[in-house]
Amino acid sequence: MTSIKEKKMQKASVSNWFKSGDPWVWLNAGAVAISVIMVIGLLLLIAVRGLGHFWPADIVEAKYEIPGSPAYNLVAERVESVEVPAVQVREAGINIGDDKELVSRTLMKTGNRDFYGSDFRWVLDDFLTEVEKPEMLFAAERHEWGNLYGYLKAVKEDGTVIAETQDKQVTDSALATWESFQQSIERALVIHDDIYQIEKHDIGAINHGLERLRLKQRSLELNDELTPAILADLDADRAVFDQEYKVLQDRLITLYGEINRDTFVVEAMDGTISELQVAKVVRAFRPNAMNVFEKMGFYGAKLWEFLSDDPREANTEGGVFPAIFGTIMMVLLMTILVTPFGVVAAVYLREYASQGWLTRIIRIAVNNLAGVPSIVYGVFGLGFFIYFMGSSIDQAFFPEALPSPTFGTGGLMWASITLALLTVPVVIVATEEGLSRIPRNVREGSLALGATKAETLWRVVLPMASPAIMTGVILAVARAAGEVAPLMLVGVVKLAPSLPLDGNYPFIHLDQKFMHLGFHIYDVGFQSPNVEAARPLVYATALLLVIVIALLNLAAVTIRNHLREKYKSLEM
Amino acid sequence: MSEMKAHSIDISAMQRSQQTLRIENETPCLTVNNLELFYGEKQALNGIDMIIPEKKVTAFIGPSGCGKSTLLRCFNRMNDLVDTCRITGEINLHDTNIYAKGTEVAELRRRVGMVFQKPNPFPKSIYENVAYGLRIQGINKKRIIDETVEWALRSAALWDEVKDRLHESALGMSGGQQQRLVIARTVAVKPEVLLLDEPASALDPISTLKIEELIHELKEEFTIAIVTHNMQQAARVSDYTAFMYMGDLIEFGDTNTLFTNPSKQQTEDYITGRYG
Repeated sequence: MTSIKEKKMQKASVSNWFKSGDPWVWLNAGAVAISVIMVIGLLLLIAVRGLGHFWPADIVEAKYEIPGSPAYNLVAERVESVEVPAVQVREAGINIGDDKELVSRTLMKTGNRDFYGSDFRWVLDDFLTEVEKPEMLFAAERHEWGNLYGYLKAVKEDGTVIAETQDKQVTDSALATWESFQQSIERALVIHDDIYQIEKHDIGAINHGLERLRLKQRSLELNDELTPAILADLDADRAVFDQEYKVLQDRLITLYGEINRDTFVVEAMDGTISELQVAKVVRAFRPNAMNVFEKMGFYGAKLWEFLSDDPREANTEGGVFPAIFGTIMMVLLMTILVTPFGVVAAVYLREYASQGWLTRIIRIAVNNLAGVPSIVYGVFGLGFFIYFMGSSIDQAFFPEALPSPTFGTGGLMWASITLALLTVPVVIVATEEGLSRIPRNVREGSLALGATKAETLWRVVLPMASPAIMTGVILAVARAAGEVAPLMLVGVVKLAPSLPLDGNYPFIHLDQKFMHLGFHIYDVGFQSPNVEAARPLVYATALLLVIVIALLNLAAVTIRNHLREKYKSLEM
Repeated sequence: MSEMKAHSIDISAMQRSQQTLRIENETPCLTVNNLELFYGEKQALNGIDMIIPEKKVTAFIGPSGCGKSTLLRCFNRMNDLVDTCRITGEINLHDTNIYAKGTEVAELRRRVGMVFQKPNPFPKSIYENVAYGLRIQGINKKRIIDETVEWALRSAALWDEVKDRLHESALGMSGGQQQRLVIARTVAVKPEVLLLDEPASALDPISTLKIEELIHELKEEFTIAIVTHNMQQAARVSDYTAFMYMGDLIEFGDTNTLFTNPSKQQTEDYITGRYG
């Protein structure tokens, strides 16, 4: 009797629970929670994987002996460990005993690619013995060939030894050698900076000037205006450049002589002794001897290098500054192009066009444009902007540079225009929305004061619609900054020799190819010769891209909120 | 009816008693000749003939939908904004037909200003709201604008309340202040006619009183036409009153006569509250 009653009550309470609407709330809250967890998880994953890369990992020295093959000495950084089924290892012919199901395998970064041909090797943890972390082991980042790991033996100046040691422990002679190595590196870096400055900027400016002279001469030639007098002038200008170039060239030769003065001797893990040039080293450090604060300092320096330096070694080392710069520059240009265009189009559609079937079709078409896959815009940009418009521009304005194209090839301007085209529907839709929400009585107020429709639009309606316009711009920026596919067709490259904004006239080079964080991720992750080395950088760059987009959005949101505050709703 | 009279004995009624108003003696400012207005197929105004006398207050009363606001909006061609609206007949501002071809509508609206039912300040500072009409006319001299803004705000009895916060947003003002700001803004361009479309209907009684006092002062300088659904208000502020019903002008005459001794039964029924 009671049990039936209870059942009834239970049934009633379940149906009451459904009636109360609670399940609906739970469902909604659950959906939100899952979304939030996924976003946070994604960010955490790329943050941890990306940011961990800059931390100086300890270098271990160990004996590694697989049964049946000779033992060798291993000096390396631990990268990651995975558990693999023992069967798999047994099948590879390695005897690991019968009692195990799983063995742990570690990826070790051994560096010294110039000696061993690769930076990484997998080892089975079970066969690592005598694992130590000697303090004198050092790592050296180099301009080429990746990291170097080993013991420092000597530092030489012009072939004469100025410091040397035989010790692998921390002794006075070892530390003194280390000290002179560091000084030598510092000296080389200063010279390296000088060389970079001269090669990149001074000689770059001369080349730029020479190229302009060449183009000037060619254009005069094409117009049949090249008189001997002008030619003499041009030659004189050229001679000045040549003179400057010679001076720089001599200075470079001296600098190269100086930078190659010092060498150092290193003993690698297999005991080979080699002599290398100090000039090749970017920085040398002994992670095993560093305390936490030193490591944090090192971490900061590495992070800063990542943000502010040019990439090295096929983008797998160094920084991504040109990519950050290119991304931001492209997005800003896109914004400058898309905003006025989208707003003007929306104003016409909403305010001037008669609201008939044609306007409706146009509106539908505009909305549908937002759904066209971005690669299609890339193809369109390539076919129409670059090949058609670009080559027409070249023929009309830059005939002297032909056959090498100026605007007839991918570049910053075409990329920005292509993305502007991609995002213009978003701005149009948002602006129309905003315009339709401006109260009629405010427009009438302006008209009743003798303002024309255009004046009303310009002075009252558009300012009031500006928060909505900014919403459109925010959406456009969010979409454009993350877009990669169309950019590959219209001007992004894996390595741009110079930034699109520099000190050479006309300062902003719209025709130049540029780097982009999104493409950089693709390039480093999938086109790199050294995938293992590049992987952390993929995460770091992805995190950076997210941060850059977030910052761009934040800027736009701030502007919008400011505008919203200013044009707060008129409701009383 | 007696209650109504008690209400109407105030400033304007006292002044009115000293002089007899007769429409025949007034200088016409706006003359309406056989004005018909259609919204699509629907006729909203049926052959209106009347004059709006200069420097006097003319009130339009009548039930909702009778066409009083529509008529008012004809005076500065606000109805042009409605796509389906069609107008025949003419309205003369002094001697020019404002519906003649080639009329500069913006110029007309500068001469015939309008204040709407709901305060509609621009989302700008108080100062910029008043200066708006001047800037539209291309006046940018700071001295002239400063002077006009002060004069307009004083005319709208707002100066003392806002002189210390001229550059704050107009949206932070109270509703009554906003409406007086809108009047100041309209006055600032020195129009000949002020059209007030239920200017106090969204306001509290005190603000309403202020607006009414303001109307009384403004008629020294402007011809005023006011639409109101509040008959006491019409009685208090106006010199002449037009009663409209279903798109027809039923009765038009000086306010005292119309309220105390209406000649049409419909008018009497309406003002005594028998319908409408």
